[in-house]
Amino acid sequence: MKSKINNNIERIIALSEELRWQIGDDFHDNLAESIYADASKIVEDAVIKDNEKAKFRLDAKIDKIVTSKIWGFPIMLFILGIVLWLTIIGANYPSAMLASVLLDTFLPILKNTGEALGFPWWLSGFLFDGVYLAVAWVIAVMLPPMAIFFPLFTLLEDFGYLPRVAFNMDSLFKKSGAHGKQALTMSMGFGCNAAGVIATRIIDSPRERLIAIITNNFSLCNGRWPTQILLATIFIGAVVPESYSSFASLSAVIGIAVLGIFFMFFFSWALSKTVLKGEVSTFNLELPPYRPPVFWKTIYTSLIDRTIIVLWRAIVFAAPAGAVIWLISNIYVGNESIASWTIHSLDGFGFLLGLNGVILLAYIVAIPANEIVIPTILMLTVMVTGIHGGVGEGVMFELDSVTATAAILKAGGWTLLTAINVMLFSLLHNPCSTTIYTIYKETNSLKWTVIASVLPVVAGFIVTFLVAQIWRILIG
Amino acid sequence: MNYSPITALVVFFGVSILLFFIFRPKKGIFFLVKKIYQQKDKTIIEDILKYLYHNQIANNTITTNDLTNTLSFSNAMIIESLNKMMDNELVVLEKDNYKLTTKGNEYALQIIRAHRLWEKYLSEKTGFHKAEWHERAEKKEHELSVVEIDKLSSLLGNPKFDPHGDPIPTSKGKIAKIKRGVPLSSLKENTIGKIIHIEDEPDIIYKQILAENIHLYSTVRVIENNTTRVIFHSEGEQFILAPIVAGNITVSVLEKDEVKEDDITRLSSLLLGETAKIIGLSKECRGENRRRLLDLGFVKGASIAIDLLNPLGDPKAYLIKGTSIALRKNQASKILINKNKNGK
Repeated sequence: MKSKINNNIERIIALSEELRWQIGDDFHDNLAESIYADASKIVEDAVIKDNEKAKFRLDAKIDKIVTSKIWGFPIMLFILGIVLWLTIIGANYPSAMLASVLLDTFLPILKNTGEALGFPWWLSGFLFDGVYLAVAWVIAVMLPPMAIFFPLFTLLEDFGYLPRVAFNMDSLFKKSGAHGKQALTMSMGFGCNAAGVIATRIIDSPRERLIAIITNNFSLCNGRWPTQILLATIFIGAVVPESYSSFASLSAVIGIAVLGIFFMFFFSWALSKTVLKGEVSTFNLELPPYRPPVFWKTIYTSLIDRTIIVLWRAIVFAAPAGAVIWLISNIYVGNESIASWTIHSLDGFGFLLGLNGVILLAYIVAIPANEIVIPTILMLTVMVTGIHGGVGEGVMFELDSVTATAAILKAGGWTLLTAINVMLFSLLHNPCSTTIYTIYKETNSLKWTVIASVLPVVAGFIVTFLVAQIWRILIG
Repeated sequence: MNYSPITALVVFFGVSILLFFIFRPKKGIFFLVKKIYQQKDKTIIEDILKYLYHNQIANNTITTNDLTNTLSFSNAMIIESLNKMMDNELVVLEKDNYKLTTKGNEYALQIIRAHRLWEKYLSEKTGFHKAEWHERAEKKEHELSVVEIDKLSSLLGNPKFDPHGDPIPTSKGKIAKIKRGVPLSSLKENTIGKIIHIEDEPDIIYKQILAENIHLYSTVRVIENNTTRVIFHSEGEQFILAPIVAGNITVSVLEKDEVKEDDITRLSSLLLGETAKIIGLSKECRGENRRRLLDLGFVKGASIAIDLLNPLGDPKAYLIKGTSIALRKNQASKILINKNKNGK
């Protein structure tokens, strides 16, 4: 009896499998498709749309202009230029104000308080010259540009213009295996790489999103613009006649940013052809209707969602960095501080790259924030060369006068080659720790985080190495 | 050692070239060593089984010479494996010809099952280009255990066909009879057929077919067929192939009144100002891409028009269900439409 039932069951299963072959491959898809089609038919019958035509007409007109052959790209470049200009120029004033409040007013107050409470020198040095100074610096340099850049960007986003940029640019990005929306995350990276990495959420295709995340660091961020401008002014502006000097230094900075875009395309292409080729890749881009941005709400959310979150992460990382910087220059092993010992051991490698030990150490301890690279370099240079300058042993500083800064750097053995290679290395080095942490949060993968961190620094080593050797052969 | 920039450059390029030769894709020393290490007995035995199976279906007889000539292993290894296989009763020798035993047949089907399921997996769940599927499956088929194969099958929803249109054997070793079709090169002019299979071997011809953008399950109409070339229309496009290439495309002939081939075109051929109705998505549009397009409303019966042209040509924005969606050309070519004749 039982075996008979079993027999029957097996026969039925065999028959069903046989029938499945006969139905063929299309069956499931056809079923799914007809469900979709039925659903859309029901919607068409049941939903009444009104006045859609009139609303659509203005949209269509704007679209025609911003995606036209003649106006599409000029409009894009113009808007990006304005946003960057407003950010870089506009941020100077609040930055200077914040710096004077935090560094010139608060720091002495804190130090006096420490003295009044009877802090030993090392505690007040560690807390105020180390931790507080680094945090204050990061806030002063980072907050104003972000507070200007992000709201402007969010306004454009809300208005609906940014998807059109992605639409115009897609064919360029497609050639390197990337998504048109990477144009947006890249631009966002000009403000802050960590924010750029978060912005890659708009790319819904896994492969293209990873490409955008890994290559975002090639966008020169706000923390690095001031370094570029300072070095270009001191060294590049000096090699041409004075009337051209500001033009030359400006071109050099823009050249570095453009070089970054070139590296972004190159690595996007290389990644999509190698390690990322197995990731799923899809494309779709919705062009939503334009709508007037809700101004105050946008300002508020972009300040809270982007600026404050990124700033908070930066502070969390900057505080221990400040402590480390103070400690390595104030802890002595034998006659040498840890800092000067490290600098001497890095000098040989630094020389090969056309850099020096001071610069390499500065980039190691300044991983938490690119903003403190120049102050750290100045402090370490003064310490190593023993020249007079700065505010004290192992305390970061920045000088108001460009000539004074130039004097210190030149005393540290800087040449035009050093300056060019620092500009290149500032573009091509590991992302700051805030960005690394953000990449880990977004990808949830150690592998991609390591690749994203190591890839640019390897590129930086190779590029600066080649530049240094060729320079020495050709120019001496 | 004294430093000079020239020595430094020489050392750098020396190391770079060395690394290149070690890790160069496929031909690098690293990969060659890895390949030798992977050439286990199992791989050879399974490749022989597969080869015998395919030829048995095609009613070809296979001698030792055939095997040593076709398979890329050393002769000694092949002969050693054949002896092992006879010991294990996987094959028998009948008058110089090797034949699969029932046990050998079952084993071969398991390998084919693994191969086709892996191709299906690559096509649905990864972003690898279709030119790579076959080669990757050739490696993977030897690595999957029976349990893994069954898991893979249920992950994919127990598919019945691989992405080339070949049936996938069941876990019990059953396989559908191959659909009767004829090579495209044998079709007379003006015959209408449906592509049911695109052969992925040999590689050179397969890559040529891929480069032409010919789609599986598309309807074709032969325009010209002679010894030098085969011309046919499919989805509103014209294709010209050499007969040897067309021979690797299998079609099933359709009755003329069954379909109207001329009405079907690809969305990529839609012009600004024209409107059309969507007929469906091509079978070549798979996995995540397919689901995404369906979600966005690219379904049968939906009407569609071009919303915006791109300053660089690609992608174009299409107006569908009141929304403007940009699609790249290679996506648009996988959406089939029926153009509305009288403009609007």
